[in-house]
Amino acid sequence: MIQDTVTEELLLRKPRFVLIIFALACIGFIIIDPSQSAVGHFLAPVIGDPAESGIYGRFVTSFTLALLFVLNLIAISLLPEFRYQVIVVWIELVMLFLTFFYSFDLSFTFIQSKIGFMITQGIFTTLYVSAISIAIAFVIAIIGAVAKLSSNGFAFAIASFYTSFFRGLPLLMQVYLIYLGFPQLGFVIDAVPAGIIALSLCYGAYMTEIFRAGIMSIDEGQWEGSRALGFKFGLTMRKIILPQSIPLIIPPTGNQFIAMLKDSSLVSVIGVWELMFLARTLGNKTFNHMEMLITAAMLYWMMTMVLEFIQSRIERKYRKKQKR
Amino acid sequence: MKLSKSLIGVLLIGLLSIGMAQAGEVLDSIMAKKSIKVATDANWPPQSFINDKNEMDGFDVDVAREIAKRLGVGIEFITPSWDIITAGNWNRRWDLHVGSMTPTKKRAEKLAFPAVYYYTPAAVAVHKSSNINSVAALSSKKVGTGTGTTFELYLQGDLSIDAEGAPKFKYQISKPTIKSYETSTIALDDLRLGDGVRLDGVVSSLPVFLEAIENGYPIKVIGQPIFYEPLAVTIDLGDQELNNRLKDIVAEMRKDGTLSKISKKWYGVDYAVTQ
Repeated sequence: MIQDTVTEELLLRKPRFVLIIFALACIGFIIIDPSQSAVGHFLAPVIGDPAESGIYGRFVTSFTLALLFVLNLIAISLLPEFRYQVIVVWIELVMLFLTFFYSFDLSFTFIQSKIGFMITQGIFTTLYVSAISIAIAFVIAIIGAVAKLSSNGFAFAIASFYTSFFRGLPLLMQVYLIYLGFPQLGFVIDAVPAGIIALSLCYGAYMTEIFRAGIMSIDEGQWEGSRALGFKFGLTMRKIILPQSIPLIIPPTGNQFIAMLKDSSLVSVIGVWELMFLARTLGNKTFNHMEMLITAAMLYWMMTMVLEFIQSRIERKYRKKQKR
Repeated sequence: MKLSKSLIGVLLIGLLSIGMAQAGEVLDSIMAKKSIKVATDANWPPQSFINDKNEMDGFDVDVAREIAKRLGVGIEFITPSWDIITAGNWNRRWDLHVGSMTPTKKRAEKLAFPAVYYYTPAAVAVHKSSNINSVAALSSKKVGTGTGTTFELYLQGDLSIDAEGAPKFKYQISKPTIKSYETSTIALDDLRLGDGVRLDGVVSSLPVFLEAIENGYPIKVIGQPIFYEPLAVTIDLGDQELNNRLKDIVAEMRKDGTLSKISKKWYGVDYAVTQ
């Protein structure tokens, strides 16, 4: 965002606002009733046995928590720099998350015994299925975008039918349709190729629209100029238009890849041993589903964070190029 | 013009010949490849699951291995979801399914059941603190089960088992609110939340309940088994030779006590015969 130079008094310095926040937090906590939780045990000297403290315990614990919450907000607002504020809030949220998971009473030895396999088998499969799919989708999208922009009615009809159909169906249904439907036509394909086809076709349809917008954003003068030089359509596209629109196309494509990474979990229904499939199955024998689901969730999250980082780098690189 | 016509003809013939396995064709290809592809579920302990070494393991898996051994071929497992297996039309993606499937009349329209290899009691479980103490008391209550299972069909009052030797049963739970889950282990996760929180009871196979209780689930099994499910090995329609061969092999395995041995290994009880 643009740095604002107009300074206003911080909301948190206004007593009325602080009071409202406090009241809302109080009400929220009273509804949840924290008296039976760890906070209740901590406040046992004041409220007595948490289990028998009743309404009184409920109010005291809620009041304490709301007070802590508001104090924390004010403390953060007092931090000198934007950066520190961000770091502190992140750390607090992560800690909240961890205590939340910790309260599930998870078996960490079980997670430890399975995490290696989840990475070598699960993440590996998820990544390669997504990577192949995005590459195919990229090609489909270029062809689709050109077809959608062409004056050839036939090409336009096919391309618009394609995007309409594949954007109009849930991806899960496409996975089923391709896995179960293709054999009816005589092409018996295995689970992994079927999953890749479904992902590529679905994302190809979305990316067609991205590519179309990218190509359309190039000034008409560029077309006219290259036609005036005697360039044919293909050459114009390859040498003039695409090189200029690629910087506009790459960042949203990265976003699509991040989205696909998670959507690839849908191919677990046809028995591909990717991360989601393992998350659902590995814990089954010993009834440790929660452990596996949370581990997989963390792994997905970490993968996404890495990709988001790469994505922001790519975006920055192209933005620099444009400025030059 | 002539060319395109004959092309269409060839394509049509091609299309028609797919999907119909010719007699002996599947068996021949298994013997030729020296390997059999077996579909089974990875979510159904102790019948089939992924073990500590991240390999398929369990009662069904052991039975499948024994069948492959007696055919004299290697074995490969794949794990499509249950509804894809029961949909039939496997198109040779896999040759055999050993996954505790009950041979019902509806399924027999899509699949062939060469042999019943064991019987499991289907039972009802409720939360430990529940005061429901008979199966019939679950009428009009919230009952969970796995989707597409015989237990679901039982709850819907639509179950017909047409295997030989299956004991008769009657519907004891009338008009339950059926909640169907991906697998019955997830139903158990909802049941453990407390009596009546999300479910009042779960219908599944007795071994699954016993396994869950062993793993500390706060549930109890009530009443007698509601029906005995015969469970069969399954193949796609069309290959009578494979059918007969599997029938012989399973009969052999029952006769020489191998099935009972595997059953005792996994369940501690001999389920290869009806009680």
